Amino acid sequence: MDIFFTVLVFGLLLGGIYGLVSIGLNLIFGVVRIVNFAQGELVMFGMYGGFFAWHWWGINPYLSVFLVAPLVGLLGVAIQRLVIQPLQHEPNMQIFATFGLLMLFQNLMLMVSRGEAYSVGGQVGSTVLTVGDLKLSLVRVVTLVAATLITIGLHLFLARTMTGKAIRAVTQDKRAARAMGINVEKTFLITFGIGAALAGMAGVLLTPIYSITPGVGGNFILAAFAVVVLGGLGSVWGAYLGGLVVGIVEAFAGFYIDPVLRSAVWFVIFLIVLVVKPSGLLGQVGAEEVGFREQH
Amino acid sequence: MTANASAPMLEVRNASKQFGGLRAVDGVSLAVRPGEIVSIIGPNGAGKTTLFNLLTGQLVPTEGEVRYLGEAINALPPHERARRGMGRTFQIAKPLIALNALENVMIGAFLHDANLNVARDRAYAVLERVGMVHLAARRAGELTLSERRRLEVARALALEPKIVLLDEVMAGLNQAEVGIEIDLLRSLHAQGLTFLIIEHNLKVVRAFSERVIVLDRGKLIAEGTADQILNSAAVIEAYLGAGHVGSERAAASDEVRA
Amino acid sequence: MSSIDGGKDLPRPAAAPARPGAPRHEVIATAQRAWLTYLGGMALAFLPFVAFINDAHWLNILALTYLMGGLAASWNIIGGFGGQFSLGHGVFFAIGAYSTAIFVTRWGVSPWLTMIPIAIFAACVAMLISWPTFRLRGPFFAIATLAFNEVAFVLANHAESLTGGPRGLSIPFKAGLANMIFRDRWAYALLMFAFVALVIALCVWLRRSRLGYYLLAVREDEDAARAAGINVLGVKLKGMALSAGLTAIGGTLFTMYLRYIDPPTLFTLPEVGVKFALLSLIGGIGTIWGPLLGAALIVPFENWLRSAYADSLPGLSLAILGLLMVLAALFMKRGVMGVIDDLLKRRRGKGAS
Repeated sequence: MDIFFTVLVFGLLLGGIYGLVSIGLNLIFGVVRIVNFAQGELVMFGMYGGFFAWHWWGINPYLSVFLVAPLVGLLGVAIQRLVIQPLQHEPNMQIFATFGLLMLFQNLMLMVSRGEAYSVGGQVGSTVLTVGDLKLSLVRVVTLVAATLITIGLHLFLARTMTGKAIRAVTQDKRAARAMGINVEKTFLITFGIGAALAGMAGVLLTPIYSITPGVGGNFILAAFAVVVLGGLGSVWGAYLGGLVVGIVEAFAGFYIDPVLRSAVWFVIFLIVLVVKPSGLLGQVGAEEVGFREQH
Repeated sequence: MTANASAPMLEVRNASKQFGGLRAVDGVSLAVRPGEIVSIIGPNGAGKTTLFNLLTGQLVPTEGEVRYLGEAINALPPHERARRGMGRTFQIAKPLIALNALENVMIGAFLHDANLNVARDRAYAVLERVGMVHLAARRAGELTLSERRRLEVARALALEPKIVLLDEVMAGLNQAEVGIEIDLLRSLHAQGLTFLIIEHNLKVVRAFSERVIVLDRGKLIAEGTADQILNSAAVIEAYLGAGHVGSERAAASDEVRA
Repeated sequence: MSSIDGGKDLPRPAAAPARPGAPRHEVIATAQRAWLTYLGGMALAFLPFVAFINDAHWLNILALTYLMGGLAASWNIIGGFGGQFSLGHGVFFAIGAYSTAIFVTRWGVSPWLTMIPIAIFAACVAMLISWPTFRLRGPFFAIATLAFNEVAFVLANHAESLTGGPRGLSIPFKAGLANMIFRDRWAYALLMFAFVALVIALCVWLRRSRLGYYLLAVREDEDAARAAGINVLGVKLKGMALSAGLTAIGGTLFTMYLRYIDPPTLFTLPEVGVKFALLSLIGGIGTIWGPLLGAALIVPFENWLRSAYADSLPGLSLAILGLLMVLAALFMKRGVMGVIDDLLKRRRGKGAS
C-alpha cells in the first residue's frame, strides 16, 4: 500500500508536468484546429531561455519565466502568421510545415549548443520535501502547483475577459463568430501566441528538472498529444485532468510492468480514446473537426 | 412516361435522425417507384440533405428503416449501395480536381470492369451521353460550375445506376444552363432512369417532377403532384411564412377544392 | 392562379456548342507512351551510374540516392497517390532491415530468399496497424503513425535477444552474390538501381490500374469515392500494404549494404520515416518521378553538407532540410515536378494563342 501511494504521488507530479506542457497545445488545437508538431520545440526554447537567463545573468527560472514566456509567445504569433495562416485549408501541408519547423528548431539549437547538454544546477533542483513517509521533489511539487494555477488563470481568462470570450466563440463556431464581428484571424494569432507562451512558460519552469538538450521537446510531444486527446479539445480543465491521468497511468505502467513502455502507454491511451470516445473526457462538440470522422 | 405501380425501388419507413438535441429528420416515410421522378422541396434546414444521407448510407438512421429493391439496408455502407445501383451527387460538387473529366468519369466506370481501356471507353460513352466529350481532357478544377455539376452526374451515370439521387444539382446555374440540364435529365429519364431530387428552384420542380414531397423542420408536411404542391397554402406558408399575400389566395382556392 | 413559383415554364436554351476536343488518344496516356516514358526516364537515371562507374565515392552516393528514391517512391504510393501522410514508414523499413539481418546472422539464410516473405510480412503488419488508424483524418493519422514509430523504436531497443538492443546487429563481410554482399561498389549501386526501377515500374502500372485510380479518388474526396462504389478502407489498406512491402525490401537492401543496423539508424524520423515523405514533397508528391527527383536533389546535397560541416555545425543539414520542408509546404506544394508542369503549361498556353 505504501509503494502504491508513492507511485500514485509520483504519477500526480508527473501529471502536473504533462498538464503544464499540454495546456498550450490544447488551446491551439481547440481553437486554431491544427496539429502543431513543433509544440515540443517551443517548450525546448523555453528551457533554453530559462537556462541562458540563469547562466548569463544569474536569474532564477521562476523569475525569468516572465521574460522568456512572452518571447516564445511572440515566436508563436510569427509562426501562426507566416506558416499556419497561409495553410489553413490544407491540413496535409500543415503536417509538413510544422514538422519542418520541428526539424529546423531542433537542429538550430544543436548547432548553437554543439551537442552539449545543459542543466540548471543548484539547490532548487535537489531540494526534497518530506511529507510523512513520502519524499517529494520540491521542483516537481512547484510544477504541479504552477500547472494548477495556470489552468485556473487560463480558465478565468477565457471566461471573464473579452478576448477570452472571443476565443471561446471561435472555438465553438468559427463562422458564427465571424458573423458576430469577431476577427477570426486576429483571434488565431492571439491564441497561438498564448499557446506558445504557455509552452515557453512550461519550459522555463521545467529547467530545474530536466537536462536540456535540443531533442528534449521530443520527450513531451507524444505525451502531450495523448493528454490533449484524452482531455478533450478546447477544454482547459480537460488538459489538466488528462495530464494527471496520463501521468498516473504512466507511473503505474512504468513501475509494475516496465519503464520502457512510456511511449506505448501514450499511444495506447491515444488510440483507445479516439476509438471509444473521440471527444475525450471534457471535450467540446467541435472536436470532431480536427482529427476524427463520423462512423461509417 | 408513367411510373408503374409496382413495388417501390427505394423507400424509407418512419425514418428519424437525431443529432444530440436536434431531430434533423423526424418520422419521414417516402417511397420511390421504378421510373418515377420524385422531388423533395422545403426551406433551408428542413432536413433534405440529411434524408439523402440516410438513403445513401452516409448516415445511419436513429429510428426507422431504409429499404432498397425490397431489402432493408440500414447497415449497408455507402459504397455498397452505390454498387447496387444507387448513384448520387452532392450539394457542393465534389469533382476530383487533380484528374481530367474523362478520368473523373472513369472512376465510376471502373465499378464494373477493372480494365483501363474498358473503363475509358465506357467513360467516353457517358461523356457523349451528357454532351461533354469535348471537355474530356479538361482538368476538373478548370471546369465551370455547370460543367462540374454535369460531371458529377456523369460520374454517377458511369455506375450504370438504377436510381440517381441529385442534391440541388441546379443550384447556382443561370436560366440557360438550367434549361440544358433539364433537357439532359429528361432524356436520361426517357432511357429508364429513376430520379429522386432535392431542389430549391421551383421552376425546375414544376418542369421535371411527377411527385413532390415537402419537408419542413424534419417532418414530411405534404405530398402530391407538382401542381398540387406548388399551389398549396401550407407549402407557401412553410417557405414564406403565414401572412404572405399569395398564401391567402391559395388558402381560398384550397378551401374551394376541399 | 397563385403558386409559389409563378407557374411559368422555363425558356428553351440553345443547343450545346459543337467544339472539337482533344483527340482521344491524348486524354489519358496510352500504355505505349507510358512505358516508353518510363524507359526513357530510367535510362536517364542510369547515366550517372555509367559516368561514375569507377568512382567509389560517387558510387556510394548514387547507391544511396537510388535507394532513397525507391523508398520515397514506395511511400508515395500511400502518401502521394493515396493522400495518407504516414510518418511511420520507418517501422516497415526496420522490419525489412531487422528480419533480414536476423535470418542472415542466425540461420545463414540468403537475403534473396527471405526478401519477399519479409515484404509480405511487413505488408500484413501494415494492414493490421493501419486498420484502426485509417479512420483518423490527416494530421491525426500522421500522429498515430508517429506513435507507431516511437513504440517500434522502444521495442527494438528492448528486445535485445532479437534485435541486439541498442548495440544493434552487424553482418560479417562474406562476399558473394548469394549473400547479397559485394566487393565492388558498382554492384551495390546496380542493385539499388534495380530496386528503384522496380518501384517506379510498379508506380507506372499502378497509375494505370483501377487500384491507382481508386487511391487518387480516395485522396481527393472520400465521400465522392464512396458514392462511386469505392470501398475506401479497403483501398487504403491495399495501398498501405503495397507501400509497406516495398519499403521493407528497401530495408533489406539497406541492411546488406551497410551491414550494420541499430535503432537510431532505423527509427530517427528525419533520417528515415519523414525523409521518405520529404523527398516526395520536394520532388513532387503524387507524381511518378517526383520521389526519385527529390532524392537526386537532396541526397547528394545532404551528403555534401554533412561531410563539410559535421564538426563545425552539427545538425546543419537537418536544419536546412527542415527549412526546405516548410518552404516547400508553403510555396512549392507540388514540388519540382509541379514547377516543371506549370512551365510546360504556360508554354503550351502561349503556343495555342
